[in-house]
Amino acid sequence: MNQALHRSSAAGQSGIVIERLRKVYGHGDTAVEALKDVNMTVGPGEVVGLVGPSGSGKSTLLKCLGAIIEPTAGRMVLGGKVIYDGGWKIPDLRTLRRDSIGFVFQAPYLIPFLDVTDNVALLPMLAGVSNTHSRSRALELLEALDVAHRAQAAPSQLSGGEQQRVSIARALANRPPVILADEPTAPLDSERALGVMRILNAMAQQSQAAIIVVTHDEKIMPTFKRIYHIRDGRTVEEAGEGRALS
Amino acid sequence: MSKSPALRRRLALAGLALALIAALAFVLLRAGPLAPTRVTVSRVTEGSFSPALFGIGTVEARRSWMLGPTVAGRVLHVKVDVGDPVKAGQVLAEMDPVDLEQRLASLDASLARAASARAAAAAQLLDARARGELAAINLRRNQDLANQNFISAGALEARLQEKASADAALEAAQANLNGAGQDMTRLQADRAALQQQRATVRLLAPSDGVVSSRDAEPGSTVVAGQPVLRLIDPASLWIRLRLDQGRSAGLVPGLKAQINLRSQPQATLAGSVARVELISDSVAEERMAQVSFDAAPAGISVGEMAEVTLQLPATPKAPLVSSASITRQGNSIGVWRIEAGKPVFVALKLGSSSLDGQVQVLDGLKAGDEVIVYSQKALGSDSRIRVVDALVKPAGAAP
Amino acid sequence: MISLAGRDILHSWQKFALTGLGLGLLIGVTLSMAGVYRGMVDDARALLGNSGADLWVVQKDTQGPYAEASSIKDDLVRGVLGMPGVMRAANVTYFTMQVQQGNAEVRAMVVGMEPGQPGSPGYLVAGRHITRSHYEAVADIKTGFALGERIRIRRHDYTVVGLTQRMVSSGGDPMVFISLKDAQDAQFLKDNDAILNDRARTAANPAFNRPAIPGLLEAVQAAQASSHNVNAVLVQVQDGSLPEQVAQSIRRWKHLEVFTREGMEDILVAKLIATSARQIGMFLVILALVSAAIVAFIIYTMTLGKIREIAVLKLIGTRNLTIAWMILQQALGLGLIGFVVGKLAATAWAPIFPKFVLLETRDAFTGLVVTMLICALASTLAIRVALKVDPADAIGG
Repeated sequence: MNQALHRSSAAGQSGIVIERLRKVYGHGDTAVEALKDVNMTVGPGEVVGLVGPSGSGKSTLLKCLGAIIEPTAGRMVLGGKVIYDGGWKIPDLRTLRRDSIGFVFQAPYLIPFLDVTDNVALLPMLAGVSNTHSRSRALELLEALDVAHRAQAAPSQLSGGEQQRVSIARALANRPPVILADEPTAPLDSERALGVMRILNAMAQQSQAAIIVVTHDEKIMPTFKRIYHIRDGRTVEEAGEGRALS
Repeated sequence: MSKSPALRRRLALAGLALALIAALAFVLLRAGPLAPTRVTVSRVTEGSFSPALFGIGTVEARRSWMLGPTVAGRVLHVKVDVGDPVKAGQVLAEMDPVDLEQRLASLDASLARAASARAAAAAQLLDARARGELAAINLRRNQDLANQNFISAGALEARLQEKASADAALEAAQANLNGAGQDMTRLQADRAALQQQRATVRLLAPSDGVVSSRDAEPGSTVVAGQPVLRLIDPASLWIRLRLDQGRSAGLVPGLKAQINLRSQPQATLAGSVARVELISDSVAEERMAQVSFDAAPAGISVGEMAEVTLQLPATPKAPLVSSASITRQGNSIGVWRIEAGKPVFVALKLGSSSLDGQVQVLDGLKAGDEVIVYSQKALGSDSRIRVVDALVKPAGAAP
Repeated sequence: MISLAGRDILHSWQKFALTGLGLGLLIGVTLSMAGVYRGMVDDARALLGNSGADLWVVQKDTQGPYAEASSIKDDLVRGVLGMPGVMRAANVTYFTMQVQQGNAEVRAMVVGMEPGQPGSPGYLVAGRHITRSHYEAVADIKTGFALGERIRIRRHDYTVVGLTQRMVSSGGDPMVFISLKDAQDAQFLKDNDAILNDRARTAANPAFNRPAIPGLLEAVQAAQASSHNVNAVLVQVQDGSLPEQVAQSIRRWKHLEVFTREGMEDILVAKLIATSARQIGMFLVILALVSAAIVAFIIYTMTLGKIREIAVLKLIGTRNLTIAWMILQQALGLGLIGFVVGKLAATAWAPIFPKFVLLETRDAFTGLVVTMLICALASTLAIRVALKVDPADAIGG
């Protein structure tokens, strides 16, 4: 507990803090308690894993964190801002998602009619950044992720791995303090999966973003320093191997 | 890659879009109601032409007769048929004399009787004269005797009275004779009249000619005035021409004519105006003229249609325009002249026109002016025009 | 901000182009229908304008000579000429009949007129006006006759000496102009068999066939064979006179019916064309509805195909308005392509129609506005679907 508090105060101005989060679907006889008591802390620059069987509430937690659905009770702090405390504390959730949260999905979900650069540049453009600056930011990220040579291509022309990297770049485009990754390595083989984790860690270090990776991929478990297990709507922290990625 | 396929595609599509928009703009401005009107022009030239008058007419016979009885009767014989040539005086038909012969015989008998009556009256006259002479002789002798007082006064009176009676009887006899003579004259006149009637029962040809129609067959009854035969003089065929009053200026006898008969459309015959009728048709608004053939063709029929063109003397030299150029604006008649690419209406005074569409301009234009001849639609002074060579592609036929 | 709609169109431009083409043909049909109606009205106006008349004098209590049969004596024109305010007056006859040329027959309105008078063609596109009093004709090019051809009208052959354009009856039949007398013969005189029949009938009538009066039968038969009727008198009023005033005086003193240009237009457009106009109006409404339905369906299908992308966009923070605007832009773009294609197609195939099709620019603008409106309305269905998408769908189970 003290450790958690300590970490949470250390994570004071940024990172993710979740306290006693609870989510109930439905009401009355058909009520389902998806999250009962979730507590998590992620510091800036940290990459933590969130592991649990299906039906354990992983998706619900992600949706709450992503400000897509409203929790029933608890407290959420993202990037130093209290976004939920018994009720939404942020008026415009959409802007929050756009500016403060980066999403990496199971599938790349790139917009097929935008080229690679524009897919990444879309978020800054939506935030009001000029087209030129958005594109240069996008190119930066694409270079960092080693897909800059495909900058003008259409998403359909890229391989699966390249698409995944582009989607990571998109998630980082607006420099969000939080990144939520949902099974990003599920379709990949171990080498590629480790590659993705390497990138995520590197990005986390660079931008000091707090990253939660929801996964049950055994291949990447060793890369986490900390892992949260979620079962029946409750989380339990566990120390991970924290194997270094070369 | 410098020119990515996406950029190329973008340029290609932009080009296509621009082409479509250009086509649309073209269509809106050039086709449809906003497009300029296409016209053809021609230059006014000076020249003269021979105007002509045109009319249609029917072939008629100048001299024709209708032969028929002067009283109602029945046709007895018809001696000729259509197409037969006849000589003057020839008996062509006979009506049934009915009882004329019998009436003539009766009159003859009456005449004979009248002759007898006259003879009797003459004899009576002789007789009365003889008695008168006797009475006169007696009277003289008795007067002598009375003067010598040998007889009584009564006897003398008796003799006087005898003389008077005998004189009266003589006068009566004379009158009787006169009467008998007048009777005879009357009967002779009656006979002559009946003879005349008998003569009219025979229809004689009044002149040389050709029978053109046989209207009654032997046995049919005709009334007075109804024709039995019609004759024409075939050398006297001419054309009764009808001309529009409005287009008959210059019609005078003697004009040369070109005649096209309906039955011989290829052959053009020559003729001339023989007479211009004094009476026109006011209902049809036509003037009538008679056009005779220079050489009467064979095989034409009375009543046949003909188209006649009369040549008028040539007009003096004047600017000419085509009749297609002439239009009306309000009250005035004129043409559209091109000035600096825009149409301007010029009112004209026009003279005669030819049958092929040339019109003389008396005032308003000079040679060399450009006038609009054909146009796609009605023009106004603010019409936009575009000059082309021809509005209709010629199909190879004559203009 | 880039245009999402533009990128989508560029990306799948074939689909858009084909859809636009199909929609364009539909719009082209709609514009053509409107053009057919305008063409009918223009036919009527052309008929009235080309006659050069200010007044039409017809049989009393009729609405002739175009909408109804009217028959008046041909000497009435003299009385009309004497009325105050009348500058020119001329007899005309109108008769729709088959005109033969070689082996072909053309349906035409044969107009009997006097050259240079109201009723004669005001302008030509080839040849010359009629100069002879008989057996010459001026034909509209829609008949297909060429200069110099011989055509047969009833009993006589005529030579085509001039050609006109856009001289049509209110029903769209091309006109053939011949001299008034020829037209009277053609309209009222029948073929040889009928003439012989009439003569026999008259001869059988004892009232006309009196032997005591020779010449009576011929006179009656001649009267039967001639015609002194015309359909109308066209009047041009003097400059400065009001047509309605002149019409009033003719109506009052001559006991004839008189129509001004406005009256004739009203009769032709409002009465003669009214039924066709309603028919076309109904058709236009149906076409508009069909177009709307098609556009709605197309946009809806396109949107459904992008549901996943829309969910992702919403999730990553795109505004609802931006997404709705993208769909609306696509619908409007489709409408624009369709309109351009439609207008070009309508212009291209308008001359092929048997009747005159008039594509007016203001109709094109109205068509554009209506197309845009229909597309905007049709896109609302797809927009509703797009807005209802739950961003959570992007995050699978």
